[in-house]
Amino acid sequence: MTLLQACEWLGSSSIGTAIRTSKWGFALIEMVHLLALALFGGTLLISALHSCGVIFKGSPPGAIARELGAAQLASLLAMIVSGILLFADGPLRYYANAAFRVKLLLIAAAVLTGLLSRFRGEAKVAALLSVTLWLGAAVAGRAIGVL
Amino acid sequence: MTLVQLACQWLADTAIGTRIRESDNLFSVIETVHVLGIVLIAGTIAIVDLRILGILLKRQSVGAVLGSLVKIAWFGFAVMASSGLLLFWSEADKLYLNPAFRLKMILLLLAGANRWAFHRAHDSGIAAWSAPATVPRRARLAAIVSLSLWTGIIVLGRAIAYW
Repeated sequence: MTLLQACEWLGSSSIGTAIRTSKWGFALIEMVHLLALALFGGTLLISALHSCGVIFKGSPPGAIARELGAAQLASLLAMIVSGILLFADGPLRYYANAAFRVKLLLIAAAVLTGLLSRFRGEAKVAALLSVTLWLGAAVAGRAIGVL
Repeated sequence: MTLVQLACQWLADTAIGTRIRESDNLFSVIETVHVLGIVLIAGTIAIVDLRILGILLKRQSVGAVLGSLVKIAWFGFAVMASSGLLLFWSEADKLYLNPAFRLKMILLLLAGANRWAFHRAHDSGIAAWSAPATVPRRARLAAIVSLSLWTGIIVLGRAIAYW
């Protein structure tokens, strides 16, 4: 099955059809997506600012990121699940959308940066790179609806 | 037409309002900045509230969390309010009549009042809240109210476009 065929299948699946035909389904899922984004953005930024020595200066390196890790992961999962549901509304439309493609690439790079930074590298650089990539993903996300 | 409605109509008809409304991308660009501002203020306020409730950052004192995040929250507020003003400027006549927008403004005022009352009542005692059990019940209630209001603000903000 090619990617395009998978998109066709998802769009015609019962989930895709249910979201497309429901009056408020898409809007409600979008709201969950935004709420999760707010919590995710907050935890990401605070961890990054701590890594850069701007806030919580008395806490050892990595302590704030560890304490916020569960909330960050939970909000990321909420964004992914709600994002997949939004995608199911019209997979073929998104498949062809340049902003959507850029957004997925930026998310992949951001997640990879987050995973790699746990094993090696400069925490400050990884934090700034993460914030930049996620910022790009958010901007690309808004652009999906404009293109 | 009421006086407020006339003022909104006038605002939307000004050169700046017309420019934002008729530009290809300006509205979307400002809207993106607006969303990022909301992420900054709502994200940091949510973390402060979750700390007050003893859910996040339990090893940091409430005072330390507030001290670290309050500047970010105010910065987010400045971004959100200035971009929001520009968005309102371009659609003031329509937004005045939009029920989601009206309710959102009321919730924003309530969120501000709740925060103000919280600081007025608790600022002198926050330093003593080290263990979760020492956070007064009223402060926990204020945190729950704040989380609910900000959830409502984000939901209604998205709902404006559907009206």
